Amino acid sequence: MELHSVYKDNREFIKALEAHGELVTVQQEVDWDLEMGAIVRRVCEKKLAAPYFKKIKDYPGFEALGAPLATYRRLAIAMGMDPKSSIPEISDEYVRRTTGTPIQPVLVDRKQAPCKENILLGDEADLFKLPGPMVHDGDGGRYLCTWHFVVAKDPDTRMINWGMYRQMVFDEKTMVGPVLPFSDMGKMFYGKYVPKNQPMPFATVIGCDPMAGVAACAPSPIPEDQFTGMLMGKPVELVKCETCDLEVPAHAEIIIEGEVIPNSWIEEGPFGEYTGYRTTPREPRTIYRIKAITHRNQPILTVSNMGVPTDEGQLLRSFSLGLEMRKLLESQGIPITGVFMLPESTHHMVVVGVRPIYSNIATQIANLVFGSKLSPWFHMVIVVDHETDIYNKDEIIHALATKCHPIRGIRKYEHTVGTPFYPFAEPDDRRWSRGAQVLFDCTFPLDWSQADLPIKVSFNKVYPKEIQERVLKNWKNYGFRD
Amino acid sequence: MSRKEYDTFILIDPAMVPEEKETELIVRELAPADRRYKYRSTYVTAVISKSESKYPDQLWIRLGKGQLQEKPWSIKVLKELNKFPKG
Repeated sequence: MELHSVYKDNREFIKALEAHGELVTVQQEVDWDLEMGAIVRRVCEKKLAAPYFKKIKDYPGFEALGAPLATYRRLAIAMGMDPKSSIPEISDEYVRRTTGTPIQPVLVDRKQAPCKENILLGDEADLFKLPGPMVHDGDGGRYLCTWHFVVAKDPDTRMINWGMYRQMVFDEKTMVGPVLPFSDMGKMFYGKYVPKNQPMPFATVIGCDPMAGVAACAPSPIPEDQFTGMLMGKPVELVKCETCDLEVPAHAEIIIEGEVIPNSWIEEGPFGEYTGYRTTPREPRTIYRIKAITHRNQPILTVSNMGVPTDEGQLLRSFSLGLEMRKLLESQGIPITGVFMLPESTHHMVVVGVRPIYSNIATQIANLVFGSKLSPWFHMVIVVDHETDIYNKDEIIHALATKCHPIRGIRKYEHTVGTPFYPFAEPDDRRWSRGAQVLFDCTFPLDWSQADLPIKVSFNKVYPKEIQERVLKNWKNYGFRD
Repeated sequence: MSRKEYDTFILIDPAMVPEEKETELIVRELAPADRRYKYRSTYVTAVISKSESKYPDQLWIRLGKGQLQEKPWSIKVLKELNKFPKG
């Protein structure tokens, strides 16, 4: 099995998807106004191959790739692994690659940077020259940026942040979107630029290589340009922006450069969000004013469609959030057997497997993960014992329904940090990013005597080994197929 | 001249929207000459009416979460407002 992805750009990834039967090339012209979004939505809901749109109405010369990483199979391909790799295998490989020494990016000359093949400045830099889709009917505008990342730099530490912050086209020169104050870019912008009333340079990267997209979703403390190198197994190639002191991936499809405007807001949204609902209303949000657009020849826009599971935002955010929690808990010496965040929970619910070798270990786990910077993005922690398969939904439901005491097993955490996107939250709590969290402890208390402990009744548990072996050996002889 | 078509998002109870009075609002153009500019947003000063025929242009109404109302209103755009410095 090839263990390191060497897809330097989205185009090589598209070829790999095609080679593995994970791509449908759509030759028929599609409309950017809802049709493309509807196709991508249906692909996500049916877990189908990624659509590669060759002709977009009104935008000759542009192409689009939908749902690039909406399945674990496509994630495995992106990581250069066997597409049939299991979730634990992909997880272990991700943890292996992202633990250790970060890989610094390298700066390349603009002549070696395909993203500079077309440079649009001044009036030419017009957002409507790009085929931003109307993703869902009722959205507040065209969301050009749904699978992308925004580059920003801390003015003091020079630390780089790549993060996925949705951006709606307002007019030719303006985009708008939420920048939550507890996000990495939010801390930079509201903490350092806004108090000085200083615009913050930004660069939006659309159609990056797949590992850069994964890194931008990951809540790792390692800067994403270095994290991408770790995932790729080699330095990511960057090139200087045209109008600001930022660097962007040289092989990306489209770059939008400009400034985030302090102390001024315009209405954004509504938008079909990752929770599967349109929860946050149209309201004043952060303004991005653009100065330049650069793009490759025949640029390929990447399009994600947030909604009911499963899209790549849900899948990758769940994947990386869960694995950053795993790293955190392992770093604290907690005897966990694994961490899995269910993408179907829209990264709200995480399952932690543990050897319950001391009392209240589930509470310790919940305190650690709820106390981390990861916590605003999820609110339910289920702790199961080491005999429960954390990747098996049937086993998790069984453990939750049978081992979690309705009073003793459920612990509530009040007055925590939340997000405006939680559909269950009170409208005022959404407005102020106030949350609440809950632990479901699905381990039996250690002070119960052996005689009081229920015995699990399953094929593996309540039959002698020789009976199990005999039954398995004769299984097909009995007339069963599988 | 053919009728222009806009929409806007109303964030309050539609019954409370003042009619026939100069109002500042954001409109999106739904049928521009160059279709690539569909949904372009503009701040305008305008007068609006719940009657579909009172003013020259058509105004579709959406609520804060995008719900499209059944019948369009009408609008007369008085002035486009430039809220941003030139980029």
